[in-house]
Amino acid sequence: MINEIFFLLVFPGLLAAGFFGLLYEGILRKISARMQSRVGPPVWQPFFDWVKLMSKENITPRNGVGFVMTLCPVIAFAAALSAIVFIPVAGFSPAGFPGNVLIVIYLLVAYTLSFAVAGWASGSPFGSVGSIRELTLLFSYEFPFIVSLLTIGFMTGFQVSPFLASHFPLAFFAFLVSVIGSLSLPPFHVPDAEQEIVGGPLVEYSGPRLGMFSLAKAVKFWVLISLGVVMFLGGGTIEWFLIKSFFLVIVVSIAKTVFARLRIDQTFRLFWLVIGPLALIDLIRAVFGIWV
Amino acid sequence: MFFLHEFTLPIGPQHPALAEPIHFRLKVDGETVIDAEMHLGYNHRGIEKALESKQWFKGVFLAGRICGICSQSHTATYSQGIEKLAEVTVPDRGKYARTIFAEIERIHSHMLLLAVAGHTIGFDTAFHYIWRDREYALEISELLSGKRVQQDFNTIGGVRWDISEDQIRKINQNLDKIEERAKHYYKIFTKDRTIRKRLKGVGRLSAREAQDFGVVGPVARASGLNSDLRTRGYSAYGDIHFKPVIGSEGDCMERMVVRLRELRGSVKIIRDCLANFPSGEAKAKLPLVLNVEKGKEAVSRIEAPRGELIYYIKSNGLTPERVKIRTPTFANFSCVGKILEGTQVADAPITVASLDPCIACCDRLTVLDVNTGKEKVMDHHELEDMRK
Repeated sequence: MINEIFFLLVFPGLLAAGFFGLLYEGILRKISARMQSRVGPPVWQPFFDWVKLMSKENITPRNGVGFVMTLCPVIAFAAALSAIVFIPVAGFSPAGFPGNVLIVIYLLVAYTLSFAVAGWASGSPFGSVGSIRELTLLFSYEFPFIVSLLTIGFMTGFQVSPFLASHFPLAFFAFLVSVIGSLSLPPFHVPDAEQEIVGGPLVEYSGPRLGMFSLAKAVKFWVLISLGVVMFLGGGTIEWFLIKSFFLVIVVSIAKTVFARLRIDQTFRLFWLVIGPLALIDLIRAVFGIWV
Repeated sequence: MFFLHEFTLPIGPQHPALAEPIHFRLKVDGETVIDAEMHLGYNHRGIEKALESKQWFKGVFLAGRICGICSQSHTATYSQGIEKLAEVTVPDRGKYARTIFAEIERIHSHMLLLAVAGHTIGFDTAFHYIWRDREYALEISELLSGKRVQQDFNTIGGVRWDISEDQIRKINQNLDKIEERAKHYYKIFTKDRTIRKRLKGVGRLSAREAQDFGVVGPVARASGLNSDLRTRGYSAYGDIHFKPVIGSEGDCMERMVVRLRELRGSVKIIRDCLANFPSGEAKAKLPLVLNVEKGKEAVSRIEAPRGELIYYIKSNGLTPERVKIRTPTFANFSCVGKILEGTQVADAPITVASLDPCIACCDRLTVLDVNTGKEKVMDHHELEDMRK
């Protein structure tokens, strides 16, 4: 019992996930700033931001639904946090059983849905457009994301357990691209395009609600990166785990720096017509056991 | 609001992507813009009126304050108009210096727009890089006039500061860097796949439409019209060999490409000017208080970075009787409704940005009746009546 509580609250749960999620975000911002020949914020900036947000007040716009606006960040945070339980981080595996890949996928969808609902509940036209885009983006990246996870799932009995995907480079590639989409980072930051819709679903959010969302985002970052390290890069001891995670963070920050934003229709087409089929090739190979 | 098919998306006058006081109302169906309305009038400063109370020499400084970016063009156009009125001949050295400065302004203005376009399509890296390299042009500006913006370099009868040999050497160094970077950005904008996807075929304006709307500057040139006033040879452009850049596609991509090619063209013009820099005075000797015959009129036109800038000036002796300014943005904005219709919401910001709008310089007074909510533009007589 003590162990379960430790897993959930300290490692790899709340504390570690929050800490590393925000740290990754800081690293991401620092790396892309250096690549853009800027100084960039300190690595600890997301922590400062979070503390500041938690100490501010919540503002509900006149058209907004306050109850839903409070509930959505909690659901998003809870969904992201629960997903950690199923991912064996550095050998800690509180809930490892066959089939838990599907639960992780469900929880991540719940997270995105709460984002979309949050946009609608805020009663702003920017929020509404942002929500529509959030859902369209979900339908886009979810296809290659699920396919690539199922590919590895076939090898591990649909359990999130360490696996080195050296035979499935296409699945790994598809997974990486859909992770970037899932985090709505460039070139897929369509839902929160500040040049068009001023930040998307979260435009009306402030204070602790926004703080919860940003923490949920950080935790999701940690979940996705950990998922990639475990399912595709073979996990490992704590040092190796972190080294591999940082490698993925660097890959994501390079993508963040070198691309312009695609339009939502272009994003959809890219995921379904290019990335998806690539992932399918590896899925078919996994199902029929065809190795090179 | 929640599941309506159509709704209105307000953009501006306060908007993170639009640092200009203008208000768009986009009627949106899902992601498609079906109607676009534009509202001006948030930043009317009454400069035309204020110019009427300024003596000729002082007026030039006020004209420079109309725009932060094309400050040089405004002073040049106003000075050129007054020179016509007072029949002043500018010495050759002054003409060449003006040309050099005009092209430096074109470089930094175009780079600014390219950077903003990068930011608008969510490509912040391009924004930061181009913004950094724009410093080379601003350095030259600082070297020549002591100021990075609002240079007040021109005055009636020439330029206020001569260009020295030392400065020419430094200018040439910076020009090399600018040229190298301009080539690099040309490659990026034409080769990068995400940029091409976002710019190709967006906001298309055919040559015919461009002519009908009367658009000017790079926007018209991108549509295939030869709108480059520099070919008419004011300042030193008559002595310098150069070819105007004319595109054909008329979309956002072409507008960027035209500007990118003009960057290199400007570098070449400055080099030519520096190579053939005439000796002598850079400024004509004039009395401190200029007196122009009453009732005399002049129209002065210049190719500013954004397009044709027109000043109409009527003299009242020591001051102008009336100054009328037509900024390029004012001409270009007639086509906004047309090119926005039917685009995607995601393309709206880049479509507007591709016109290189400078709202503050072109803003006009609109009177809004609070009771009926109707807008109207007041004519001269009504304003006179109000004054009484």
